[in-house]
Amino acid sequence: MACRQWHSIDQEVMSWRRVEAIENGIFPDLKVSFLSISCLHCQTPPCASVCPPSAIFKREQDGVVLVDSEKCLGEPDCGFCKEACPYRIPQFNPDHNLKMEKCNLCLDRIGLDKQPICVDACPMHALDVAPLNKLSRRYGHGNVADGFNFSNEAKPSIILKRKK
Amino acid sequence: MKLDGSAKTKNLKVIVSGGCHDCGGRCPYSIHVVNGKAVRIEPHEELKACVRGYGYIKRVYSPDRLKYPMKRTGARGEGHFQRISWEEALETVAKNLKTIKETYGPSSILCQGSSGSPGRLHNPAPIYRLFNMLGGCVYRWGSASAEAAYFAAWVTFGTHATGHTKDDLINSKLIILWGLNPTENIWGTNTSFHLIKAKEEGTKIVCVDPRFTNTTALFSDQWIPIRPSTDTAMMIAMAYVIIKNGLQDDHFLETYTIGFDQFKDYLLGEEDRIEKTPKWAESLTGVPSKVIENLAIEYSTVKPAALIPSFAPGRTAYGEQFHRAGAVLSAMTGNIGISGGSPGCCDIPTVGVSPGPNMPSSPSLIPIGENPLEKEKKEAGHPLSFDFRSRYKVHNTKLWDAILNGRKGGYPGDFKFFYVVCANPLNQIPNTNKGVQALKSLDFIVVQDHFINSTAKFADILLPATTHWERDDYMRPWLGGDYHLFGNQAIEPIGETKSDFQIAWELAKRLGIRDYSDKIEEEWLEEIVFSSPDSRRDIESYEGFRSNGVATAKVKRPMIAFKDQIRDPRRFPFSTPSGKIEIFSKDLADLNDPVLPPIPKYIEPWEGPQDPLIQKFPLQLITFHFKTRAHSNFYNIQWLRELEPHQIWINPVDAVQRGIEDGQKVKVFNDRGEIWIHAKVTQRIMPGVVAIGQGAWYSPDAKGIDQGGCTNVLTRDEGSSGGATPTNTALVEVRKLE
Repeated sequence: MACRQWHSIDQEVMSWRRVEAIENGIFPDLKVSFLSISCLHCQTPPCASVCPPSAIFKREQDGVVLVDSEKCLGEPDCGFCKEACPYRIPQFNPDHNLKMEKCNLCLDRIGLDKQPICVDACPMHALDVAPLNKLSRRYGHGNVADGFNFSNEAKPSIILKRKK
Repeated sequence: MKLDGSAKTKNLKVIVSGGCHDCGGRCPYSIHVVNGKAVRIEPHEELKACVRGYGYIKRVYSPDRLKYPMKRTGARGEGHFQRISWEEALETVAKNLKTIKETYGPSSILCQGSSGSPGRLHNPAPIYRLFNMLGGCVYRWGSASAEAAYFAAWVTFGTHATGHTKDDLINSKLIILWGLNPTENIWGTNTSFHLIKAKEEGTKIVCVDPRFTNTTALFSDQWIPIRPSTDTAMMIAMAYVIIKNGLQDDHFLETYTIGFDQFKDYLLGEEDRIEKTPKWAESLTGVPSKVIENLAIEYSTVKPAALIPSFAPGRTAYGEQFHRAGAVLSAMTGNIGISGGSPGCCDIPTVGVSPGPNMPSSPSLIPIGENPLEKEKKEAGHPLSFDFRSRYKVHNTKLWDAILNGRKGGYPGDFKFFYVVCANPLNQIPNTNKGVQALKSLDFIVVQDHFINSTAKFADILLPATTHWERDDYMRPWLGGDYHLFGNQAIEPIGETKSDFQIAWELAKRLGIRDYSDKIEEEWLEEIVFSSPDSRRDIESYEGFRSNGVATAKVKRPMIAFKDQIRDPRRFPFSTPSGKIEIFSKDLADLNDPVLPPIPKYIEPWEGPQDPLIQKFPLQLITFHFKTRAHSNFYNIQWLRELEPHQIWINPVDAVQRGIEDGQKVKVFNDRGEIWIHAKVTQRIMPGVVAIGQGAWYSPDAKGIDQGGCTNVLTRDEGSSGGATPTNTALVEVRKLE
């Protein structure tokens, strides 16, 4: 919700960050986990490699994966990125000519040396954004969580620390 | 193309504000304003807002906002209104008020205020001040949220501030969250953060709840599902296990409490020949006796341990006993007055207590004066009895009955005029269908609000109020907390809205109350900010506070309730008649009421698992606080609606029997009414229990079936003996729609 209001995403079909509940077990032996996920700015982003006009690219200075909406063919003409992404991230905004949109890591905020809004908003301080090597020093190298499959092809830029 | 995005927003003003509604938190945040329009909010570094705060922008700018004064043009409840001027609106209210008061007297005026505004200046208090200066009116009594906890805490400890600040959770070795769900309803800003820190330190966390909530999912090492309205039985059986194993802290009981022997007699069955064994409790609660026994042993041997009761199990028939029993368990285990413990009774911290505008003694409000109708001081009767407490006021659950039956029904007036401010009683008070009849019977209704909500549809005149983004206000953390908050006005009032204070003042002028105010709004605000000892201690300058937005309480943290009383009981007695923790209350013994016994007891609830009515309505309904709403506030905000659909939780065992599949629309009904709602078939609720989030707006169809899914269509309008509003005690049946 912090993300939605920060980026004024009005369309209900759109959500740059989603939280999934993964429920397992039979009453009363249950386990419920939550996975908060947005674009993982993959090291080898499959969305970029399939994009016909090369509208999707990984920014050199910090690895943020971005879309050039002027080049993007959008839906219904294209949508290859949506097929290619293992994490169901690319979305097509009816308010913006059905061009692809997704998390841009709060470019406006990181440009001002602030953390993305989701990181600042999390009441549990469970999210962090930094270059991968820094994150590994802080949190190790985990990439396992309920409801999450690490794609060896895409190499998502994410580290997941297990809850105690 | 916004590819670098680092450009600063032009004409950006950042306003320090915060607040929201009666959700359980009170969160500072900055509002970003561009060319006079709020565009987004940014969280505070430490005190983090929740989804409601991020959705607030859609509430302020909602196309449904009540922007202008309006008068009713259709029948009551139809929702047809016509825009009028403030002049006409205020004149109409004043004229009707005067006529009704002159014809029927001030006791024909009923005023209902609630928690619809977070501010200390702008809330129902200015209207209370108005009515008290006008000659009085009839108010309600009984907190809809927490009366059971207040009652139990006053009787047992002599104060309702019996909680620790949440930074103390990390010092507990065992935390029992009894019905508490701070990740969703927010129980003090940042409580979840302190819980996760405790968990990371290795503290074991147990959740007792009929639902596997998000709190249970995130924190719990053990989930104990329990039948609603039976929590007291489990606590009493835990006490039985503790004494049977000799695990009670005799020194603590001897030094700080009175009446443990009487309680022990009750446990052992000396009083009623029923031993309160775990087996006895299992038959009532559905919790296996072994689970009860193990938790009792763990709770009495792992120290320190914090039993933290939510208000929810107290919102049941005889819910007062739940909070009383929690206090006794905490005393038996010596967990009171120590870091990492908890008095287990009414979890309101001992700093900055502000129980809300319905308590006249509450600090930091505009002075409301005295109600002339309550000046008589007829003191015949027992101060703790339901009847005595109802002699001038109407109990929260009895509003509709009082309107329909008046003095012949034993109420303190024959009501004609109803003023509703910062409240949505039709939606939030039990038995909505009875409420519809009551509202239709009145001569004149005024509603002062932000939206045309369920109650407002019945009003004769609607007065549009500003939200806290459109006015300055001072705020205090919900139910106490260790900081103060200044909500700076971020935007101009929407449409022709006016602040709650301004509305009351302008109405006062038309009613001829010349001395209503000798100050303008801002002067009142400054006075209110410094009106309590703790704000004078904590806030150095008004201007500094305004620009900072947050002032931290100058107290030693963490704050432990009753630390002094335990360290030095001679110098610091408890504020009870005996000066001790009253396991046995002589006041209650004098009352001689079997449903308000002097020691905590399990009393068979109406519409509980043992009620014969369960043959007809076999499911127990609980009406929990919803993640995206604060009571009925935010229900109409689409962003928040999308985040979590309004559904009835039902276990597959109950769903299969009824042929109900996940996502299907079902009807939920009992003798009081019927609602239609989608089913969430989930393992996350115990069989025999169904749960619906409270606060969805009542929207009846032509047949009177509520298509909105308002829980109070199903709840019973009966107060518990100590004043609790039992919205978690109701039997229903669920059927799939043909």
